[in-house]
Amino acid sequence: MNFTDIISLALRNLRQARLRTSLTVIGVIVGVAAIVTMVSFGLGLQNNILKDAFSRIDFFTSITVFGPGADAIMSMRDGGEASNGQRNQDTASSESRPVLDDKAIEELRKLDGVRYVYPNFSFESFVRFEGRTRRTGISGAPTDVEYNPRFRDFIAGRHIAGADAPEVVITERFMTRMRTAGSARRSQRRGPGDGPFQTLPEKTEAERKRLAEEVIGKTLTILTLPSGPESTESSASVFGVPLLDLPVQSEEAGDDGQFEGADDGLLSQLERHNYTIVGVLKAQEGVNLNIGSGGAIFIPMEHAGRFRAANRPPLERLGEMLAGDIGYQSAEVRVTDLARVETIKDQIKKMGFNFWNIGNQIEEIKRVFLIINASLALIGGIALLVASFGISNTMIMSIRERTREIGVMKAIGGSDSEIMRIFFVEASLIGLTGGVLGVLGGWGIDRIANLLANRWITQQAGQAIRQVEFFSIPWYLSGGAILFAVLVSLVAAVYPAMSAARVDPIKALRYE
Amino acid sequence: MAILEAQNVTREYRMSAETIRALSGISVAIEPGEFVAILGTSGSGKSTLLNLFGGLDRPTAGEILFEGKSLRPLTSTEMSRYRLRSVGMIFQTFNLIPTMTARENVELALAFAGLGRSERRRRALELLDQVGLSNRAGHLPSELSGGEQQRVSIARAIANNPRILLADEPTGNLDSHRADEIMKLLDDMRRRDGRTIILVTHDRELANQYADRIIRLKDGSTIE
Repeated sequence: MNFTDIISLALRNLRQARLRTSLTVIGVIVGVAAIVTMVSFGLGLQNNILKDAFSRIDFFTSITVFGPGADAIMSMRDGGEASNGQRNQDTASSESRPVLDDKAIEELRKLDGVRYVYPNFSFESFVRFEGRTRRTGISGAPTDVEYNPRFRDFIAGRHIAGADAPEVVITERFMTRMRTAGSARRSQRRGPGDGPFQTLPEKTEAERKRLAEEVIGKTLTILTLPSGPESTESSASVFGVPLLDLPVQSEEAGDDGQFEGADDGLLSQLERHNYTIVGVLKAQEGVNLNIGSGGAIFIPMEHAGRFRAANRPPLERLGEMLAGDIGYQSAEVRVTDLARVETIKDQIKKMGFNFWNIGNQIEEIKRVFLIINASLALIGGIALLVASFGISNTMIMSIRERTREIGVMKAIGGSDSEIMRIFFVEASLIGLTGGVLGVLGGWGIDRIANLLANRWITQQAGQAIRQVEFFSIPWYLSGGAILFAVLVSLVAAVYPAMSAARVDPIKALRYE
Repeated sequence: MAILEAQNVTREYRMSAETIRALSGISVAIEPGEFVAILGTSGSGKSTLLNLFGGLDRPTAGEILFEGKSLRPLTSTEMSRYRLRSVGMIFQTFNLIPTMTARENVELALAFAGLGRSERRRRALELLDQVGLSNRAGHLPSELSGGEQQRVSIARAIANNPRILLADEPTGNLDSHRADEIMKLLDDMRRRDGRTIILVTHDRELANQYADRIIRLKDGSTIE
């Protein structure tokens, strides 16, 4: 008996008990839909987190090297001087850690395969643009680097022209935030660019470009604490830390003229630095892996270094005073190609620096998601397990009813294996149908859940934001789920099929 | 050489505690082309002997020989091939599959032999024509009379052209007129196609009328 005959026989058997078959199939549908929904949610989450990282290889070729910091330097020193055993042990490993100074940066630059190294200067300050003042992250940008992935995707304009040019590059998110009046309070807490989920403004590419081009050439003012030595002298200070109230008023307080009005003595000491906006960086979709790192606007490196020195938190200054030269806090090392990242990481480790590279993180994230997805699949799998008992039950019932028929088939020449195959095919048809419909069902549930989730987010955000895709059903999930359903069905059919093959034709035919 | 032979065959069934001996040391030889009737009352072991000949059962002791070769060493798959190719069985209760039409019932036997779909259909209609049922091919067994059903089962039995037909009380459920028709058909199978017919019956008259030779069974043994 060839395979098509077996299939048509199996189909005929299933059709004969239509209700029972459909109920069994529904069981499988529920199980498969549960697996697909669960795992697609896990995969969707993973996608949202990794999309950004994977879409750009630049993330992988960047290594952030950290300097030891004042605290570590001091404890190293203390450990050396006062031979306190306890402390010695604590810091034994870090005793050899060097300071991340210009000399160290030069050494990093000399490593084979390093494209460029530059120190990170990031600080927070208040920025004034178009009559509004906002607290924002400001970073230094190198201007002498030929290839810098961070400053590649401009939606409008260009990069800062030179090391001393009074020019600023802003991000699209910063621009949107500065120019959205109505949602000022919201964006303060939950604005685009703040949370882990990054969404693009719901605008066409052309619209975004037009908006970006509008701000090119406009002036942006950065307000900093006095950076020159003479101004430090003039203000009241302890160990050079100015006893000046930092402008910590809420953002609204700085809005539209109020700030100008409150122009008293202390405020007049703030320095105002005017910059011309020359470029707007394009917003990236996905989940922001660099939360807190990197600024919203970029100014020439030298400037950032100077302002940062003046705008450091007081305690950091105190630490530096006590520890002496602590060098830079961190530096970005850009590796020429992915293959060299590991060797360079080893070399940085040998030099005694701590560092961070997304490669380690991605592995970690993937491992965590593997566990999450496996647990989700397991939960869905339980539903399918329950369904498998339904399949077994249906098959056993069907064999009981058809004992005589099985006897006849054997009497006229059907072999045990042919009989067994008929029932295995029947079970796998149940599994296949349930699997395919279950994947469709899971997809349907995903779509509805996604719609509701996005509606909810939009309601919460109070503004239309771009759709976030919470679920992901890659081909291997749907294929795997169907295959798994068929496999489970086959396993469920093992006992029934074997008992069908064992039917004694003499007894079966004696039935009246 | 005998086409089928039972050599000192014993068949015992274990029923919970006690053992029932259905056949005890029987020896029978059937020659090719013979029409043999096995006559006996119920419980005489005649059906057991037929099942052993038909390869549905295996003896507890002794040998069943087909064309001089023992069936004992055959695996269950080889045994099913034997049932498919070498013997055709006809039952008192017809044993047609109730959800299949007459044609489909005949086709099933051909499907087990691996025939293609169109070839199968052609052959099934040919077989139904042989038993005079070409106009009933599309009917379900429930729509056929007893005699017609038995003819379908005969068509099925000869589907793969076996040398032997084993009939177990084929007329037991039929009135005498239809019974006659069936017996004539079986006789035809022998005369025209040279098949060997083994008929199991308790009907002495029927046996006398059609069989070349009668084997009498009583309590699992032959009596001459």
